[in-house]
Amino acid sequence: MIWIRATGDYREAVSDESTSLKPLVREALGEPVRRIGRFIQLALIGAGRCVQSAAIDPQSAVYTSSARGDLDVTLEVVESLFRHGMQPKPLSFVNSVSNAPNFYIARHFKLAGRSNFVCSAYFAFESVLELACVDMQAGYMDSALVGSVDVATWPIAEHRRRLMVEADTTMAEGSHWLWLQRSEQAPPDARGEIVATRQFNGSEALLAWLEKQQLPTAETVLGGGQFLAPESLAALRRKSGIEQIFEGPACPGYYDSQSGAAISHFLASPGAHYLLHVNGEGDGPRLGVMLVRRL
Amino acid sequence: MTVYFTGASSHTALGDNLEKAVTALGQVPEPGQAVLSYADQRQSIPYLLLPDVPLQNIEQRLYSVLEGVIGEALDKAGLNADERRNLGLFLGTSSADVSVSEARFQRELLENSETATALIGSNSIANLARWLRRQFDLRGPDYSFNTACTASANALMSATDMIEAGHLEHALVVSVELFNVVTAAGFYGLGLLSPQIMRPFDQDRSGLTLGEGCSALVLSTQPRSARDFRLAGGASMCDIHGMSATNPDGSTVEQVINQALARAGVSAAEISAIKVHGTASLHNDEAEVAGMQRVFGEDVPPSCALKPYIGHTLGACGLNEVLLFCAAADAGFVPGTPGIASPARADLGIALTQSNQALTPGPLLLNYFGFGGNNTSLVITGGEGAA
Repeated sequence: MIWIRATGDYREAVSDESTSLKPLVREALGEPVRRIGRFIQLALIGAGRCVQSAAIDPQSAVYTSSARGDLDVTLEVVESLFRHGMQPKPLSFVNSVSNAPNFYIARHFKLAGRSNFVCSAYFAFESVLELACVDMQAGYMDSALVGSVDVATWPIAEHRRRLMVEADTTMAEGSHWLWLQRSEQAPPDARGEIVATRQFNGSEALLAWLEKQQLPTAETVLGGGQFLAPESLAALRRKSGIEQIFEGPACPGYYDSQSGAAISHFLASPGAHYLLHVNGEGDGPRLGVMLVRRL
Repeated sequence: MTVYFTGASSHTALGDNLEKAVTALGQVPEPGQAVLSYADQRQSIPYLLLPDVPLQNIEQRLYSVLEGVIGEALDKAGLNADERRNLGLFLGTSSADVSVSEARFQRELLENSETATALIGSNSIANLARWLRRQFDLRGPDYSFNTACTASANALMSATDMIEAGHLEHALVVSVELFNVVTAAGFYGLGLLSPQIMRPFDQDRSGLTLGEGCSALVLSTQPRSARDFRLAGGASMCDIHGMSATNPDGSTVEQVINQALARAGVSAAEISAIKVHGTASLHNDEAEVAGMQRVFGEDVPPSCALKPYIGHTLGACGLNEVLLFCAAADAGFVPGTPGIASPARADLGIALTQSNQALTPGPLLLNYFGFGGNNTSLVITGGEGAA
């Protein structure tokens, strides 16, 4: 079984002026990390808040996701090259690989386990959690840090255009992390269990799967992800028999991978034993599901 | 549960036909030249480009290459319409559609530099996966792996794992890396590009040659023939020695190879041939050779390098080199690179096969190491020569 030992989150609105994340990196890790960009800083803040001062198994894996990767450093490289005719700075170019946060997280916590980075437009957090759980169940690792990171870029007006959101939308950044442990018995500090993570090609397939799970519907809350249409959530509620709707955490502004905040918010809020979190996609019927049990 | 390679296609500097590409192995080609053009700068660098797709119409070029490769792999796999629609898509790439977005940005800069905005049309690795799903009517999940030079090797591993876990019945693994200025200028700036052909493990190594490549592979639990290849096991591990360099003492390479062998249930002595990562930088050659020596001691199996033939295709090199190595194994040989890392020139102690050499049937080992401290090894079985 896969247990949730800890969660760590960062989600803050951004304004027209970029604010430094260096103090938060130092606070989360207990030391500064130099010569890294904002995307990596966000990852370190979330992962640092998750692990805190706990002893983490050196064979732990790091699985990271994002809807768009490191837009910040990629923009720096593209702008300097094509607008100014300047070759990318070596460190910027090397750090432009999306899995750079994995390296810095692994280095800080001295981890040598598996490492993965995956992008998904609508299901960034759901996808990386699914991959990590499959790999844990397959025995690749017993412990993993799993997270999603979304960075803002400035000017914010251009950032809104890139993300195709309305001009008056408040924008935000997010970094959401889980520390997972695979074992037969729950570790003493376990707060919850990842019961399942799956993706389905439409609600019929989801409902057929759900029937087999035999969830206690009275003890379950249904959460809708940011890309699930309200009418789809209502239909799922009706057809699944899960009456209680899970209210996610207040969102400070728009960023891509808000699903990452759902599990920690569920575990921190008293109430039902199970969370069935369902996200949708903006341009198709696919559904991403996370089923979590509170301990 | 066994997961088989049931439909494969590849388009590299050796052409768009794997069977024909295999016949070109044995004589290392000279790289061509690609012109880097950005702002008012122009410079020419060696590049192993697709020979039959000119560097023109860049905003469409990527898509036409992908259509051809994926269409062929899907046809070979013989899936019915439902199976095809429900495929999971596993894309492994470094630059995805950067070639397209940078071409658009350059065009817009020429039209009006004040209003031109970078990365407006496409600003996510996942954008290419969305295009592929629409283009091929794929309705299953998509995962875009972006772990530098191990990306498509990791995509292949995860696709296999997802089928074995029962989350999918079939998967489509896609790798792609086409010429783009950002990548080429980045490697040029790092001083990692060779002015000549690549010479991994050779005393006269002088860096890497970038290459173009796109491959597609359908995975299924139903074999198409008794000779289908399969991923017997793999491992991917984090190496915290450096962002852009593997630990030169070979310890992390040793760990990832040993873990891949253990996952495959294969001993080091059973490996019949090795495809090295071989980037022809001293640091990475040292790390790989040291790791291989730690695992195999004095009895290193016949080892070959494929990058001298198709260049370093970065995030796509995982699948590109799997398919080329498997095609050579199926034809019964380990590819040779004449004059590169011969016993007299292999300064680190592991020589590469010099001519195409008959393959002793047995499992194949493939190594990949990437920026971000990502090390991956794969063990592949099946085929005529790799049973």
